[in-house]
Parts: sequence; C-alpha cells; structure tokens
Amino acid sequence: MPSASLVFQSVVLGVLLGGLYALLAAGLTLYFGVMRVVMIAHSAFLILAAYLAWYAHRETGVDPLLTLFVTVPLFFAAGVAMQRLLLTRLRPATLTMMSVLLTFSVALVIEGLLGYVFSGTQRRIRLDYSSAGFEFLGARIAAVKLIAFGMAALALLGLYALMKHSRFGQALRATIQHREAAQLLGIDTDRVAGYGFGLGLATAAVGGTALALDTTIYPSLHWHWIGPLMAIIVVGGLGSVPGAAIAAMTLGMLQSLLQLELSTTWAQTVFYVALFATLAFRPQGFFGGRLAQRF
Amino acid sequence: MRTTHRLQGGITVGTLALVLVASGCVSGGSNSEDSPDDPIVIGVSLPLTGDFSEPGKGVERGYKAWAKIVNDKGGLLGRKVELKILDDQSNADRVVSDYEQLIGKDEVDLVFGPFSTRLVVPSARVAEEYGMLFVEPAGAAPEVFDQGFKNLFYAAPAVANDHYNHLAEYILALPADKRPRTVAYAAMDDPFAQGTAYGLKEKLEKGGIKTVVNEVYPPNTTDFGGIAAKIADSKADMVVGGSQYQDGVNLIVALQQLNYQPKMAAFSTAPTEPEFAKAVGNKTEGILAPTGYTQKGDYPSNKEFVEKYTKQFGKAPEEDEANAYTTGQVVAAAVKAADCASQDPECQGKMVEWLRGHQVETVVGPLKWDDKGRPQSAHMIQQWVDGEIQIVLPEQQKEADLIYPKPEW
Repeated sequence: MPSASLVFQSVVLGVLLGGLYALLAAGLTLYFGVMRVVMIAHSAFLILAAYLAWYAHRETGVDPLLTLFVTVPLFFAAGVAMQRLLLTRLRPATLTMMSVLLTFSVALVIEGLLGYVFSGTQRRIRLDYSSAGFEFLGARIAAVKLIAFGMAALALLGLYALMKHSRFGQALRATIQHREAAQLLGIDTDRVAGYGFGLGLATAAVGGTALALDTTIYPSLHWHWIGPLMAIIVVGGLGSVPGAAIAAMTLGMLQSLLQLELSTTWAQTVFYVALFATLAFRPQGFFGGRLAQRF
Repeated sequence: MRTTHRLQGGITVGTLALVLVASGCVSGGSNSEDSPDDPIVIGVSLPLTGDFSEPGKGVERGYKAWAKIVNDKGGLLGRKVELKILDDQSNADRVVSDYEQLIGKDEVDLVFGPFSTRLVVPSARVAEEYGMLFVEPAGAAPEVFDQGFKNLFYAAPAVANDHYNHLAEYILALPADKRPRTVAYAAMDDPFAQGTAYGLKEKLEKGGIKTVVNEVYPPNTTDFGGIAAKIADSKADMVVGGSQYQDGVNLIVALQQLNYQPKMAAFSTAPTEPEFAKAVGNKTEGILAPTGYTQKGDYPSNKEFVEKYTKQFGKAPEEDEANAYTTGQVVAAAVKAADCASQDPECQGKMVEWLRGHQVETVVGPLKWDDKGRPQSAHMIQQWVDGEIQIVLPEQQKEADLIYPKPEW
C-alpha cells in the first residue's frame, strides 16, 4: 500500500502531466472540429517546435521560452499555408480518410528532415533550473514542470477567450457547428478554416516548447505521442477543446495514480482502454457532442 | 524475317558473352582462393540507418580504423584486408539476408558481427549454418549465449550480467553498518539494460541487501516522474538504473527534481556518453557506471588504437568503436594462428578451436572465453569525480578513489 505522501506526490505529478497533455491535444481536436481533418502530423510539429527551441538555445543561449515569439507566428503561417495549399485539395467526400494519409506523409517528411539535419542523437535542453524545485505541502514540484503547466494554462485560456469573445472566434465556432449556415450568414468559411488550422498549429509551437523543457527529444519521438493524444480527443469528444482538456487531465491523473500499483508499461495502457471504452459505449465522447456543438 | 534474324544473332552473341563471363568468373574464383595478392574480404552488415544508426556508425568507424591500421602494416598473412559493409537498416530480417548474401553469394573470406542483441542472434544463426567463425562487438545479453552457438565469441570484457561485478564486491566488502541497506532498481524493458541491473540485484540480494523498488519501463518512456516518485518515497540508500541513454538522463533529472539524495547511484551506459554531463546540467557528482573500455587503458595496442583512430576521425574512440576494433583484433589473432583466411570449413574450424583455448591481447585487455563464447573478464567501474568520469574500480586500474557516500547532486 503506497504511503499518503507518495499518493499526494503522484496527484501533483498527475495534474502537471495532465495539463501538458491538454495543451498537446488542444490543436488536434481543433483541426477535427474545424475541418474534419485527422492530423497525424500534429505530434511531428510538436517535436519540430521542440527542436527549434533546443537549437535556438544551443546556438544563442536564449531561454527556450523566448523562441515562442518566433515559432508561434511561424507555425500559424505554416498551418494556414498547409490548409490552403494541401488540405483544401482533398475531395470533401473522402476528406477525413485522405487527410490521415496526407498528414501521415507530412509527419514522415518532418521526421526525416529532423534526422537529416540534427541526426538521430537524443537531445536535451540544458537549463540551469532543470532540476530545481520546491516543496508544496510535502510534495516536490519541479520548476520546469510548473512552467510547462503554466504555459498550457495560459495557452488554453487564451484559446478559450479567443473562441468565446472575438468575432473571429464566433466565426470559427459557427464554421465548426454548421459550415453551410455559416456561409449563408456571410462568413468566409474557407478563410476561417485556414486560420483555425493555423491556430491549431500555433498551439503545437507552445506545446513542443513546453515538452522540450523537461524531456529528451529525438526525431521519431512523435510516434510515441500521437496515440495517447488521439485517445484523449476521442474520449473528450472530437472537436471540443474543453472536452479534450478535461479528458487530458483525467487520463493524466489516472496514469500517474495507476503507476503506483501497476508497472509503467501497464499504466500507459490507460489511454487505449479509455479509447476502447469510449468507442464501445459512448462514441460521441464524454464531453461535448460528437462534433462539438458547444464550446 | 529480318527482325527474327537480328534477334537470333543478338541471342547468340549474348549467350556467348555469358559463357565467357561465366568461365572467366570460375577461373577467377579458383585463382582467388590461394593467390597471396588478393585481399582478404571481410563481410559485415551494420545498422547504418534506423533505430541503431548512431551506435551502428560507431561500430563501422571501429572496423574501418582496424582495417586501415592492419593494412598500413602490410595486411594479414601478407594480404590486404578489405571490408564489405552492408546496411541492414536496424532490421532483423534484413540482417539475415545480408549475411546470406555476404557468405553465399559474395563469398567473403571472413565475417564480423553486427550491432545489438536483436541483430546478433539472427545473424549468428546464419554464420553457424555456414560454419563461419562469428566474433561480434555487441550482444551482451544472456539470450545471445543461450542459443547453443558454437562459433560465436563476444569481443568485450564481460556479458551484461557481470558488468557490475566489481561494484558488488566493493559493496559487500564494506562493514555491515556502512553498507547501503536498501536498493531501488529501475530498468528498461530491454535484455541488455535489464541484464546489467539484475546482475547486480542478484548479487546484492544474496548478500542480504534489500530490494525496495523494482520497476521496469518500456523503451519509449519519456516521463519518469512516477517512477522517480516511487524511488524517492522508498528513501532507498542506493539507486540502480538499468538504462541505455535518454531514459537514464530523464530518470536522473526526475530524481533530482524530487530532491532524492541516495548514498550511491549507479546507471549503465548513460553516464559514459559524451553528452551526458551537459544533458543533466553538470549535476553528475558521484554517479557510477560500468564501462568496458577507456581511452586511457594501459594496453599496448590501445595506445596505438587511440592515437591512430584520433588521427583518422578527428576525435577519440568510444566503447562501440573499441569493441568493433577488438572484434578485428580477435579475428586477426585467429587468422594468424590458423594461418589461413577463407570459407574453407577446415580453416574456419581451426580458428574457432584456437580461440576456445587461447587468450587474445586487445584494446580492452586480455580476453578469453568459455564454451558458450562468454568473455571471462569484468567491466571497470567509473565514477563522476570533480566533473570528470574516472575509473574507481578495480583497485589496480583506478584513477581516483570511489566516493561513498556520494555527495549531493
């Protein structure tokens, strides 16, 4: 039986982990909501952002967080370009299925380029505060994990405010809810969809940088992430950002707590068990509608 | 009509050419067997791309350094050596067809082993079928030696389970009140990494030292918060990581984040990598690691190896390179003793038999093997002391004293 302090420590780690998962999954659910696109390359872009942060830090010594000023606009532009130039060319009838193939190939291209430019060596950002931490009610909180969690919270709150309180957010939500109706109301849904895709990729820039703070990175790391992230957005209800956030927190916490009694290998399966259970009993997901009628 | 004629003519000429080429081949082939001018061709398949590409390229450099040094001295038995290296893409099916091709079709005179346990076992089986001597630079896990191979020799000081032997002896020789009483183990789900940790675990448990945590994690694990929390909560006196590279680094950082301060910390592989200190932010003080090779090793051939390797590649050799070079040295010793280098079963048999009963001087020290091909030496133990990794065990090779209990990291 694990001690109370260990359980509390695991809860703390679970919250921090869940926050990171929420950030990493947010973009993925957004693409699906806006465009019915399954974006396999999302995690590859995460790793790309992580590499850019690592590279900038190694070459110039700047704090990896500062790279966000470059990578966020860059990824937004890349997202818009990818949507306008590649994804709109797919036939609407087979969009979801073909987008898997298309983005799969994009993921392979990114992985290949990273391997070519930076080699397969595992890299880690070296920070003065990478092992720093502080006591919190008997549990230890690592500074880098807290920073990553803070980035996730800020990015998700920002995304939420944008979606709820701006004209663009209203147009985006209208496009998610009913494309034709939105068009009838005079919304340029193609342009909005492009920006929505860019927004999703911008979260990948933030997520990748947060990831790079506390883990080693290598080009093929994205295959390890895409499975759990897909499970999170299905459990959360495809297209629902709050749903993905709640599912991410829940699953992150479960994984952390299950590790106490089970091995690490088995604790990882919580994502797939949740995925199976969701598809079997509640295919529309647990939070939000099948295609996120609300936000 | 005309076209038919031309076609027939073409066929005749083609056939003639084929016959000529074939006969040329045959005569050429029979000549090469004995000619002292032909090079000794050595076939190797290595993971130059894919999962093991980094260590695979290291092994390739080691083999190339060996071939160059041998050739600069006039070759083996007066013949030049020539490497024929294929890329198996880290794929176990590919490695089998590579060795089939090298031995069966290309008729190489000798073979060297590939990298990693996963690829050594299937390729050793091919070599065994053809009756070829199979000396390999990697593949230290127990399962390599459980297959009943008769021609296999591992060209390194010790198998995975024996890596920590010197450390186990040191700990068990401490007075009872000073010994670590509890140990936490975390090992990657990988035959080599687990082998190192469990070899030590077995010996310490036999000596009455309690195991309080015993975790296994899959190779793709990146979040070590949970495992670190368990280890920190157990307050074990000692932590042992059966690690490769990135997992070792991530686990150490996660333990430091939780402010866990053990009296002793030992991790396989990771601490000996050149990137290690940077990756953990130089908080390395007191971390122990077994190693099979050191550039400072006081063996005559090692000085030559380090010097010439550095000249050829612009940096000093690491363990993968050294084990590859050792493979070359072991095969060379067998070739000289048997006075032959060809696929002829008698020649290969002579080499295998000679290695069974003799010791070979190499860059990792003198090596000899048991009947399963397990080397009979031990790994040295290194420790990070004053920001540098130094040999602390065994006594006669040490560069610094082992620090115990270790300072805070």
